Amino acid sequence: MDLTREEEAILNGEMGEGRQKAMELVTALGKIYGADSLIDITSAHLSGASYKTIGDGGLKYLEDLVGGGAEVSVPSTLNPVGMDRTRWKEMHITPEFAEKQLRIIDLYGRMGIKTTCSCTPYVGPNVPSMGDHVAWAESSALSFVNSYIGARTNREGGPGALAAAILGKTANYGLHLDENRVPTVVIDADIDGSVFSYSLLGQAVGMAIGSGIPYFKNIKPEVEEAKALCAAMAASGSIALYHVEGVTPEAGGFDVSDLETIHIGKKELQDAYDKLNKVDDVQLISIGCPHLTEKEMHQIAGFLKDKEKRNKDIEIWFCTSAEVRDRCPEDVKIMERFGPVLADTCMVVAPIEGSFQRTGTNSAKAGNYLPTLCSQKAMCRDISALMELVI
Amino acid sequence: MKFQGRSISNGKAKGEVLKLEEPLSFLGGVDGATGDLRVRDGNVAGKILVFPKGKGSTVGSYVMYDLMVHGKEPAAVINESAETIVATGAVISSIPMIDRIPSVRLFEDGDIVTVDATAGTVEIEGIVYKEVVSSVVSRNGKCILEKRFDTSRSYPGCWSLVAGKVEDGESPVDAARREILEETSIKVGEPLGSMEPLYVREGKTLFKVFCFHFDAGDQEVVLNEENEKYMWASVEDAEKLKTVTDTLLVMRTFLGK
Repeated sequence: MDLTREEEAILNGEMGEGRQKAMELVTALGKIYGADSLIDITSAHLSGASYKTIGDGGLKYLEDLVGGGAEVSVPSTLNPVGMDRTRWKEMHITPEFAEKQLRIIDLYGRMGIKTTCSCTPYVGPNVPSMGDHVAWAESSALSFVNSYIGARTNREGGPGALAAAILGKTANYGLHLDENRVPTVVIDADIDGSVFSYSLLGQAVGMAIGSGIPYFKNIKPEVEEAKALCAAMAASGSIALYHVEGVTPEAGGFDVSDLETIHIGKKELQDAYDKLNKVDDVQLISIGCPHLTEKEMHQIAGFLKDKEKRNKDIEIWFCTSAEVRDRCPEDVKIMERFGPVLADTCMVVAPIEGSFQRTGTNSAKAGNYLPTLCSQKAMCRDISALMELVI
Repeated sequence: MKFQGRSISNGKAKGEVLKLEEPLSFLGGVDGATGDLRVRDGNVAGKILVFPKGKGSTVGSYVMYDLMVHGKEPAAVINESAETIVATGAVISSIPMIDRIPSVRLFEDGDIVTVDATAGTVEIEGIVYKEVVSSVVSRNGKCILEKRFDTSRSYPGCWSLVAGKVEDGESPVDAARREILEETSIKVGEPLGSMEPLYVREGKTLFKVFCFHFDAGDQEVVLNEENEKYMWASVEDAEKLKTVTDTLLVMRTFLGK
């Protein structure tokens, strides 16, 4: 790999051990993926924030980094953690877990990372611009900024993204390069346009192609729909970039006439639905994967306004960011009659397996991960169908 | 015997090999506090851990860090192809690591090896290295299999492709042609195909096997004294026989399946 004199100096330890370790990691990953150089980044978004997922090894790693004086050099945000910072008791979290989780948040904060703890930083505190090179982890968020905004990032892992944030650089390969952003397949979509139909569409596309760069026709996603589509495709497949004809910023630049076309309609959506639904009754309904936006908060509050929660056995969690929760006090008041509006967390990274066995969600992403990461039997329906279970 | 791989995480180590045949997920596969393997018997602490590549959850990187915190980390990691999870774990935990060695089959449990991960090399102590050839000599989708004598030193009683040692100064393809002529009396021309060499360990001997595909034309097989008998075998025929290591793999590569 071609390194500048300054990058070589960092690698040789002339700028401290913390930066040296970060450079070793970024160059090792670059080597694996055939990068020829490093590239400056404008922001980072970090995963590996929940104590449930990183464990004591991850906690010790962060302690050692902070002890070595590590600091990020570009604006950086943090993924959801294993609990709401203040309302963790309502989530059945143990004090031991809470103590370690709060330490993890504190350690990230001490490295200069904004501990917003959300998987949708792109609606608020961390918004890249078209053409920006960034180093983002969190599969749904990185797909959103790649696809809907036209920024450029690979699927970074937690430690790799953190190393990139410390250096302000990442390895130049994959989706940072024009030639790797070209569509590989056309998806002719026939859906009803609801957010939930985008979730199923993403699930179906992930199941159909696994990886690659789909080019969609016949859909017009706005932020909420794009968010659901990103999350589903990154969970059922490993798709980190897609284009939508007439919608996403890079879509106009491609000739797709020679590409294979896959039709996704009623049958494929039904197959996707069946794959995600393994149970008819649930103990927990969790909504907000990825985190709810303001618009979604208004919609849910509007739907619930005149209704009562009759089934007290089923718990409901609404997951969003602290910023969005603060901006929607009236919606929160209505939603709280049904269940807590939680910030900083979600059902996938929280240790729900200690308290629940069957969970309902409107998210295809959560539908994929609840069985594997949380030992849950999952139900996946649209929000109104889930609410019908309790009203 | 020294092999050149690629440096992933710098450092040097010498130790005893612990080898896994399958890709490894550190999360679930190794106990971060004790180093105990959960996929088979063994403990990774202080070992030269050899496996094809990493897989599974990205949390695996932190399990490697946890091993290091507990003093139970492997002395070095050797992969065929590095991926993000294990490479990340090795770098953040300062575990020397190389990849792009020809095959995990170079190694056996208990081998003493020296890894210079900064230079990307690994040296296996006390092994004898031999180059051999193995050829699919075919006609109409079937190839010659030779049955070794029950008294044969290597793979007694097994069915084998037309195989033999590469002599000093001889190219592998010339060795293949010579062996075919000696053992079957068939004269072959240019190979129809070749593949990446295979590695096979037999005790302290490491064989590097060059594999070729030749057309037998309509020539008759006349065996010399080295083998008991021969047959024309399809892949399906060979599946029912006791064959030398990799015979089926090589037949499938050249004859299809």
